[in-house]
Amino acid sequence: MRQTAGTLNRTWLTILGIIVLVAGIAALLQASGELHSLANTAPSSDRVVTSDLHSATSPQWVAVVVLLAGVIVGLLGLLWMLAQIPRKNAADAYRLHHDGAQGFTVCDPSVLATAVENQINTLPGVVTSSALLRGTATDPDLTLKVTVNDRADVQDVIARIRTSTLPDLAKALETTLQKSRLQIDVSGRTQSSGTVVHSSGTVLQ
Amino acid sequence: MSRHDGRSTSLRRRPSRTVPALIVGILLLATGVTLVWLTIARLMNGTWPTVLQGPRDLLTGLTWNSPGVWGIGAGAVVVGLILLLCAIVPGAFSALPVRGSDGSDQAPVQEQETVMTRRAVAHLARARCGGIDGVSSATATATSKRVHLNVSTNLRETGDLQTRITESVRERLEAAGLDPLPRVSATVHSKD
Repeated sequence: MRQTAGTLNRTWLTILGIIVLVAGIAALLQASGELHSLANTAPSSDRVVTSDLHSATSPQWVAVVVLLAGVIVGLLGLLWMLAQIPRKNAADAYRLHHDGAQGFTVCDPSVLATAVENQINTLPGVVTSSALLRGTATDPDLTLKVTVNDRADVQDVIARIRTSTLPDLAKALETTLQKSRLQIDVSGRTQSSGTVVHSSGTVLQ
Repeated sequence: MSRHDGRSTSLRRRPSRTVPALIVGILLLATGVTLVWLTIARLMNGTWPTVLQGPRDLLTGLTWNSPGVWGIGAGAVVVGLILLLCAIVPGAFSALPVRGSDGSDQAPVQEQETVMTRRAVAHLARARCGGIDGVSSATATATSKRVHLNVSTNLRETGDLQTRITESVRERLEAAGLDPLPRVSATVHSKD
């Protein structure tokens, strides 16, 4: 249901991996003297730092550059860490009006999601469910997580959702759903004895 | 750093590499904070902090072919390879695809996806296995391609128990609609 930063992580890990790998290979080639013969760099017997470090780092502008580099690197690290928090990225309020001349009609997608959950919770074998709407009123996406008990007829639950819940939602929004994603989970509590009592889907407020 | 455009993304996904990303993120943040702290100390006192004296002396005495540079180079190669492997190795899918039921293509939806989490598949297999006569207890693990059950039984002669378990679990998973159907295997241990 929640979205993670998979693509972002793969991209930045690849970029940083290539940079660090190339730097490491260059350091090894320079240490062995190969880079000197290939690219005419300093001989491997030379010192790494040829100038006076103390005088090179004394000017004020060096400190400012280091400060800016520190702020940028630190901010990038912080933003990357914050991006790891899984997010729902739920839809904003659906605007159901065509133009503002006749008045505005907006609908909170969570209201529709609750209605979908309530309907699904009444299906045989369903323990609980959660729904999330994304997209817009004309291009809605529905993501569902339905937890069933281990005796449930999964195909029947899927069929009922697709033949009753999805049409009802599409009817309420007066449009075709762009995407419908359904994740089936199975309750860890084994229904091995007694009578299975299906959830009534009653919402206590 | 917006990651999505407010649309739904596939529920069947590869690992998101959160741990390596967090480790590198923490290292970047620590580097940034250290640089800012050193610079602020330099701007306030007029000289760089004395903690830099050691690294400065080390760098000044270093030659390109010294063991230190070899070590740094080798370390960078190893770290770079690890980062690349973290990014490139795809990892297992978090869920298994489930086929749509008959007539479900009439739903007013342009694109449909139905999945069952690996944990759900394991629960389903374990529950079905627990209902088979002769099974005392069972644990199940599921990947995107196979389901394995560890079963203990009170039977002295297990006979065809293993076959009955795998067939029954396979039937249950097929009825649930898993497509493709994962390979089911079982290990039966007799309690002595």
